[in-house]
Amino acid sequence: MVNIKGTEQPRIGVYICHCGHNIAGTIDVAAVAKYAEKLPGVVVSRDYKYMCSDPGQQLIQWDIKGHKLNRIVVASCSPLLHEHTFRNATEKGGINPFYFQMVNIREHNSWVHTDHAAATQKAKAQIHGAVRRVAGHRALETKRVPIHPDVLVVGAGIAGIHAALTLANAGKKVYLVEREPSIGGHMAKFDKTFPTLDCAACILTPKMSQVGNHPNITLWSYSEVVKMDGYVGNYKIAIKRKPRYVNEELCIGCQECVAHCVFKEPKFPDEFNEGLGKRRPVYIPFLQSTPQVVLIDPEVCLNFKRGAKNPDGSPVVSDKCKKTCVEACGENKAISFHQKEEIKEIQVGTVIVTTGFKTFDAKRVPYYGYGKYPNVYTALEVERLVNASGPTSGEVILRDGKKPKTIAIAHCVGSRDENTNRYCSRVCCMYSLKLAHLLKEHTDAEIYNFYIDIRTPGKGFEEFYQSVATEGVHFVRGKIADVYPEAGNTGKLIVQAEDTLLGRVRKLPVDMVVLSVGLEPQADAQDVRRMFNMSCGSEGFFLERHPKLAPVSTFTDGVFIAGACQAPKDIPDTVAQAGAAAAEAMALIDKGHVEQEPNTAFIIEEECSGCKSCIALCPYTAITFDEAKKKAVINEALCKGCGTCVASCPSGSIKQNLFEDEEIFSEIEGVLAQV
Amino acid sequence: MSTATASADNGNGVMTLENLAKFPEGQKVYSCMQCGTCAATCPYGEDSEFPPRQIITMLQAGLIEEVFKSSSLLNCVACYACMAKCPRGIRLTEVLLPLVKEQVFAHMTDVPAELQKALQNTLRYGNPMGESPRKRALWTKTSPVPVPVLAEIKRPVDVLWFVECYTSYHPRGQDNSRATAKLFHAAGVDFAILGNEEKCAGECARLLGEKGLFDTLTDYNMKLLRKYPFKRIVTGAAHAYDAFKYQFPAVGFDFELHHTTPFFAQHLDKLKPRLTKKLNYAITYHDSCCLGRHNGFYDEPRALLQAIPGVKLVEMTHTGVNSICCGGGGGGMWLDTYYAAKGYERLSERRVKEALDTGADVLAVSCPYEISRFEDALKVQGGDKRMVVRDVVELLAEALED
Repeated sequence: MVNIKGTEQPRIGVYICHCGHNIAGTIDVAAVAKYAEKLPGVVVSRDYKYMCSDPGQQLIQWDIKGHKLNRIVVASCSPLLHEHTFRNATEKGGINPFYFQMVNIREHNSWVHTDHAAATQKAKAQIHGAVRRVAGHRALETKRVPIHPDVLVVGAGIAGIHAALTLANAGKKVYLVEREPSIGGHMAKFDKTFPTLDCAACILTPKMSQVGNHPNITLWSYSEVVKMDGYVGNYKIAIKRKPRYVNEELCIGCQECVAHCVFKEPKFPDEFNEGLGKRRPVYIPFLQSTPQVVLIDPEVCLNFKRGAKNPDGSPVVSDKCKKTCVEACGENKAISFHQKEEIKEIQVGTVIVTTGFKTFDAKRVPYYGYGKYPNVYTALEVERLVNASGPTSGEVILRDGKKPKTIAIAHCVGSRDENTNRYCSRVCCMYSLKLAHLLKEHTDAEIYNFYIDIRTPGKGFEEFYQSVATEGVHFVRGKIADVYPEAGNTGKLIVQAEDTLLGRVRKLPVDMVVLSVGLEPQADAQDVRRMFNMSCGSEGFFLERHPKLAPVSTFTDGVFIAGACQAPKDIPDTVAQAGAAAAEAMALIDKGHVEQEPNTAFIIEEECSGCKSCIALCPYTAITFDEAKKKAVINEALCKGCGTCVASCPSGSIKQNLFEDEEIFSEIEGVLAQV
Repeated sequence: MSTATASADNGNGVMTLENLAKFPEGQKVYSCMQCGTCAATCPYGEDSEFPPRQIITMLQAGLIEEVFKSSSLLNCVACYACMAKCPRGIRLTEVLLPLVKEQVFAHMTDVPAELQKALQNTLRYGNPMGESPRKRALWTKTSPVPVPVLAEIKRPVDVLWFVECYTSYHPRGQDNSRATAKLFHAAGVDFAILGNEEKCAGECARLLGEKGLFDTLTDYNMKLLRKYPFKRIVTGAAHAYDAFKYQFPAVGFDFELHHTTPFFAQHLDKLKPRLTKKLNYAITYHDSCCLGRHNGFYDEPRALLQAIPGVKLVEMTHTGVNSICCGGGGGGMWLDTYYAAKGYERLSERRVKEALDTGADVLAVSCPYEISRFEDALKVQGGDKRMVVRDVVELLAEALED
């Protein structure tokens, strides 16, 4: 066993947590406590119901004083959850917080084992290891690193907009990066919002315009983050600004260029209207776009050579067009066909990721006929159809020119289905009810909701369901299994489902089918995850640090998430999370510094041979070479404690705090002591 | 030990309706959320007192005996539609329904005669038609190319071709076999058949709940397969393919397995230069339940058809996972009289109506049951002058250079 350096003898306190039944239900905690009592250096050994509770922490503090303890071991849950709790308790008791060692007998033991006797035996071994190890712990100090006060917000849907405004209003400088040419996200496409039916544009566009004009917000639309380096408080970010072929500073948003484009009629599918409308090669995404700046689509603009690329990947300017747009722009001179992609580099202390979702591709369920039968629509398309600023100015006219008299709404398309997505997308029931109401209002059609369960667990949701039902909207409890044309070229579609309450199969002829598509992670969620050092859950959404207690934090300090990139959610929840993420970022910024775990590596200078092999291996470029001394030097602020240099040093002259060889070996000896 | 499903034995014995919860596939049954997809997609859903959704509720409520007493389960033609679309991933056709059917037949006093006969024939003669086992390989005499028999050639072969019953005895099935033999030659495949030793793989009996019969046939065929050295097994019978793929592994079957359609699609580079005869047909392809929904071979048959010069492919309303069953699976092959007596629409007729609507000249298929079923349905629908039924292999063989 390692002896405490100097004259002090180890006086160890061991605490075994029951965690209610979580641990005590599998492990005989009393027997483990009794076992630990006899281990060398142990003065006190106790088991207690909840060590993380106030009395639990008090226990440690009293024992440190009463029994003159100088080392503490707590066997409970994951250090991820409560290491800081018990380090604090140790410090409050009056000894260095790093004279503490945690043992995970929950995730590493009781939660994964069913054999009680073997689990108890394993807990004893785990604790024996910790007791041996903690005796050799040295007093360490946490470092403080200043925090850069600026914040990066990635994605400018309602989540990003709200987070950015909250921070900016509190006086923080915010960089808001959006990949589309306008901010607004999905919410900008919606007509009205459930359950209050207030118009999405009326509540969103004022916030968009605030973002555009806020002195504390730098808005970069049509831009993407391409790289993140550094650590909490000091992130270096690279942002790619994609060419609009229009100078943002010079464009005044008059749209004269659009009106004067050589394409007399809009010809190309309009992204903002889900392809239901058309646009020209030079366009503004929608009327209330922020920024009010046009852009040119080089794929279809005649002044570019179709499909041709320069060696740097940029499109080739053909100069074959009459360039009536340039003429119309006149003195503003905003149009710039030779504009190139630009990389901006910034420094921030914290990052909020609000990259949102994509809707489920309904073609993946072929029997709903989406993409095959023109009168099958996705819910998002219908949002545009009922929208006054949509392609039909709010009139519900089908792709075949008819007005629907009967409409079926298919719930759970791409949700609650093992063949697509297992999870419930959480918003579809409510938006289906909303669309039922709006379609009824716009068309007076007979509307049938085909549902499995109606889920309305939000404020005012159930009341909304009740009111839609009283409007005469029909509800059929059964999932649609087939959509196909009615025989005899009637132009109608048959939707086939079992009315499970009647126990009868129904074949309902309808004019229009609306697919309530679920919410999915963005297509490039994995790339974004890697870039910001986050994790994804099994469904591909970004993973929060703790589902209950750290819902907007990630496993990377200083990187927060909010909105539907974390899981499907509605606007109220998204805004609440965005506010929470902004508050979390501010809590860090206003503290002014971050405390860094002292698990950094250090060099025993006299033993370093100056071979430089560690320098190239360090993933954080924390090691440099002192040419005068011919020795390697580790920058503590940059070291993340990964241990690569420690393991690779040929002369064994690099050590790491909390992971010194003696500590690791004595822990192993302890674990194996009973073997 | 052979069991109801390949994965049924996990130390808990054989899966039954009582111990479902001890098996992962059985536990899934209890995750049913009563959405009715199964009933709505079932081709006889409207005519069934107990569609799968109801069976699960009855099971959970302890009222399953009532289902045993109903003839409802005789309507199941094992088309895999409910299983393919089930949002909970419950293996209805493979796991739950055969267990229920077994009980339905056990409780049944008047099993339809046609079905009874087919099952007796299968047990006695190794084929449901009651043909002599000694005539099983007789068709080879009419083959345009030599068809070697394993017992005679006494040497290892690359491909053991498992011919199956309809393709051995039925005159139109034999057309399929002659075409397959021709294609093996054209693709340069070293093959042989089991000849008169071969017996029915029994998949339809299994899906009917006739586990005992299936086990007997499985034991026989497995012993037979072990007798001869070969590298892989190819069959044109979609149901036999399923039996080998999903059931036989439980008794040690570990051979490389192919169905003729995807097998020839793999050999398209060799076949294509020889497909020189122009066939000016508009063809509509029927996705068979086993090959399509159950095994996901949607592109391969279409790739083969498109390789034939002059062919124009047109699609029916219900294709792919949504295809309509010919009504021949799970014993449906021998229940036509029974369904007619009940006043049900024959599924083969429902299917050919859609095929006729496409205006195609040829209805292409890839399961041996379908030829006779669709030819018959076309006659009933008065469409036999406008449309012919051909297996994909027949069309390929027709397009081969002479």
